[in-house]
Amino acid sequence: MKDLSDKLKQLASRSPHWVEFRYHRRNVQTLQVQKGLVKQLKSSITSGVGIRVLVNGAWGFSATSDLSDASLEKSLKQAIECGNSLSQVKQSKVKTLPKVTLAQGEFVLPGYESLSKMSLEEKLEAVRRAEAKTRERSTAIETASGYYNEIFEDKIVVTSDGADALSRLVRNEFRLSAFAGKAGEKASATQTVGRTGSWECLFEDHSMESLSEEAARLAVDLVGAPRVQGGLATLILSPAMVGLLSHEAIGHTVEADFVLSGSVAAGKLGQTVASPLVTLIDGGKVESAPHGGGDLLVDDEGVPTQNTEIIKDGVLKSYLHNRESAAAFNVQPTGNARAWLYNDEPLIRMRNTYIQPGTQSIEEIIAGTEDGYLVDGPRGGQADSTGEFMFGAQNVSRIKNGKVTELLRGATISGQAFKVLSTVDAVSKEFKLDLGAGYCGKGQPAKVDAGGPYIRCKALVGGIQE
Amino acid sequence: MSKYLKSEEQQLEKTALELQAHALKAGAQAVEICGTFLHKTKITLEKQDFHLASADDNYVFGVRTLVDGKQGFSSCNTLDSKELKEVAARSVQIAAVSPENPYISIDAGPNLSADTKLDLFDKELFQVSLQTQKEWARLLREEATRDKRFRLNEGSVDIVAGATIVSNSKGTLMRASENAAYWSLMGMGVDGNQITSFDYFQEMARNPAQVQEKLLLSTRDFCTQLMDGLNTGTAKSYKGLAAFSPRAVAHILLSGLSYHFNGRNVVEGSTRWTSQDLGKTVLHPDLTVQDLPWLSDRTGAALFDREGFPTTNTTILNKGVLSEFLLDSYAAKALGQTHSNAHAAGGPTSLPGVGAFCLNVAGGRQSREDLMAAAAAQQKEFLLIHRFSGNVDPITGDFSGVAKAAEWCVEGKPVHVAKEALISGNVFEVLSDGLFGISKERVIINSAEECPMLIADGVSVTGNQS
Repeated sequence: MKDLSDKLKQLASRSPHWVEFRYHRRNVQTLQVQKGLVKQLKSSITSGVGIRVLVNGAWGFSATSDLSDASLEKSLKQAIECGNSLSQVKQSKVKTLPKVTLAQGEFVLPGYESLSKMSLEEKLEAVRRAEAKTRERSTAIETASGYYNEIFEDKIVVTSDGADALSRLVRNEFRLSAFAGKAGEKASATQTVGRTGSWECLFEDHSMESLSEEAARLAVDLVGAPRVQGGLATLILSPAMVGLLSHEAIGHTVEADFVLSGSVAAGKLGQTVASPLVTLIDGGKVESAPHGGGDLLVDDEGVPTQNTEIIKDGVLKSYLHNRESAAAFNVQPTGNARAWLYNDEPLIRMRNTYIQPGTQSIEEIIAGTEDGYLVDGPRGGQADSTGEFMFGAQNVSRIKNGKVTELLRGATISGQAFKVLSTVDAVSKEFKLDLGAGYCGKGQPAKVDAGGPYIRCKALVGGIQE
Repeated sequence: MSKYLKSEEQQLEKTALELQAHALKAGAQAVEICGTFLHKTKITLEKQDFHLASADDNYVFGVRTLVDGKQGFSSCNTLDSKELKEVAARSVQIAAVSPENPYISIDAGPNLSADTKLDLFDKELFQVSLQTQKEWARLLREEATRDKRFRLNEGSVDIVAGATIVSNSKGTLMRASENAAYWSLMGMGVDGNQITSFDYFQEMARNPAQVQEKLLLSTRDFCTQLMDGLNTGTAKSYKGLAAFSPRAVAHILLSGLSYHFNGRNVVEGSTRWTSQDLGKTVLHPDLTVQDLPWLSDRTGAALFDREGFPTTNTTILNKGVLSEFLLDSYAAKALGQTHSNAHAAGGPTSLPGVGAFCLNVAGGRQSREDLMAAAAAQQKEFLLIHRFSGNVDPITGDFSGVAKAAEWCVEGKPVHVAKEALISGNVFEVLSDGLFGISKERVIINSAEECPMLIADGVSVTGNQS
């Protein structure tokens, strides 16, 4: 790694244009067991260097998996040709990138060494046991599936204006699904965990045993469960659902590239956009929730990550930036530039996005709810330019007169992000990041995490009409 | 072997043989190599302007091995001999720790016959310069921004040329090369305080003569439909008839069904239908679904599958009768059949799975207009669903989500775009007793599936007007 870093620095020093070299080696192991059979057991290594240049205010990019001097020089030349060609037609030139203290040195997150030493057999055996155990929990369970994935990442980011960072981390995730059936009706339930770190930290909050028990119980209970009545309702969102709300409904609208395209957050800095109970942060590392699935010390432009307060006590404070958008807004970059593979261009992406905890207990919040739903089990979500969001929930429980009553089938929750956040009237003290097994899609995937406390709010539930 | 990617195809074949030899030497009893070469140039648009030009070449190889009925898999993107040897050995090591599975095999495939010739390579497109590509990107931007209310968030024109090889130690050697130009746009309409939803489209052409006309036409259609979204109104809540545009048929109904066509899911016991249902009426008799892999205007067109078997047309559902599941070798063996029907899907970084190439839903007897009028005679007002932001539970068939840019129809005619309408229902109910009618006109969605419009009963709509 040191030799390659030196080679890239030499090339950067000779480049006539601003240049960024990003070496990225990704080593992925995946295993999946279904109904006792191994469905997938595989290893994948992808490595190479992505080269981005800024030529007369236009971006050029090229990538190569061949790390020889000749190939790197050829690729740099190709990137410059691309940038040069584009500069002839680009109307609004990229401003000079803001001066910022760029990362230098080694940035290593814990878990990489210990997870790489653990054998594949050991991991496979653990997943096989969990999958088998899930099937044994009820005669109504027809099949089960266990999935484990780990991504080892090694990166070097070198720029001609001073970044020289070597970073190393491992992200892992585990999913357990149970599929149940009774009298022709079917249902499924999935439990997930995802972290940046070791095997032990992946299961420190939820053991495999407890994930298996919960997936099986939910799948069986969901068979034939009634559907939710559609309409505006009072909802208590679990930390995972709050994570989805923070990520989908707010996070995407404050990514500065979307803001520049006219997202609903444009022009709202300094305005009250949420209840004063809401403080929303996107951070590279969360003190109170270590090993977040989106942990990152240095971004892919060599900018050290920071914890960015997006909303403070209900007031919109900041957007999420890369170096280009920071220049456009005349602010400092926030360390949100991320690329999925070596041959992807860095884009503005979130890391760990969460709402800060409050003071009430979840029991108090439920007891104070006359009529509503407790919503849990995130099943994907999307946000829109209008701030309108939707996310799926695996399970919804009815709350009546301060008590959780019946379990209902999953549903979709929707609303206008800032309007929904303005209705927040209770925030729990219980807090966790709970979306570490998730991926965000924006042309390229990204590993992110999100979470928060339980919150009570009002939103539309997509259910049946009688 | 193609004249235009000759050296790349030779490199693929040489490396495949090298990997195969390494794997056999490491102890594999059978080996399958899937390799691809990809050359991509891309012009990206962002915020009404040119954003980035890039170029990238890469080789990727996947090595599947069998040792005593146990399977291993590893992949890489290198041509380095030392690394290739390690990757082959890794695949064998993984096989050694995998449990035995009687259905896994690597088989010799029949050679392609002359009548299955599908030419997906265009020499003129291969010679298109970066200058011409830039000109196409300029046309895309100009056409999109002709209406000043359009906000271009992101767009691109990509030219991709690639070659694929599938070979195995049983004698299979399949090669193909293809190229295409792709263009895409993501954006929204803004008029004062009115903002439409984000929308996205992607289209492709395989020769330069088609690009300009198809690009202008598809962009114009996309922008016109997007701007219609500025004329918003309300939707009532009801349960009853709803119309699904061809796009909604593809994204909600066909995606929900596809899970149950997949032979691997049948093997795992998570599908609605089993082998016992073949030959039985399982859905409405007006429904016919086929997979047609030789349609060169589709992104999924292919001459052979991931296991190297020549593709063929497959009728999955014939007038409501379940005719065939989609099978790879694994699913075929597990379901007691002698042959796969060449539906092994995936690329070099993944193990073969099951998938469709170009799904087609047959049209009905009535014109779109007649169908809308017939529906209006039964129910004066209903929703016409276009884009869906939500979830389809593949197991239960339940769907729930936001109907984006859906049109509120009165007496069979769209009167405005319904804001914040949520829909929910069940794919199987909609496509059996709930089916009201299918239009004879069909549309190809994003150069992939071809679907008609469909009207069905039993859909719950939760609008913002009670």
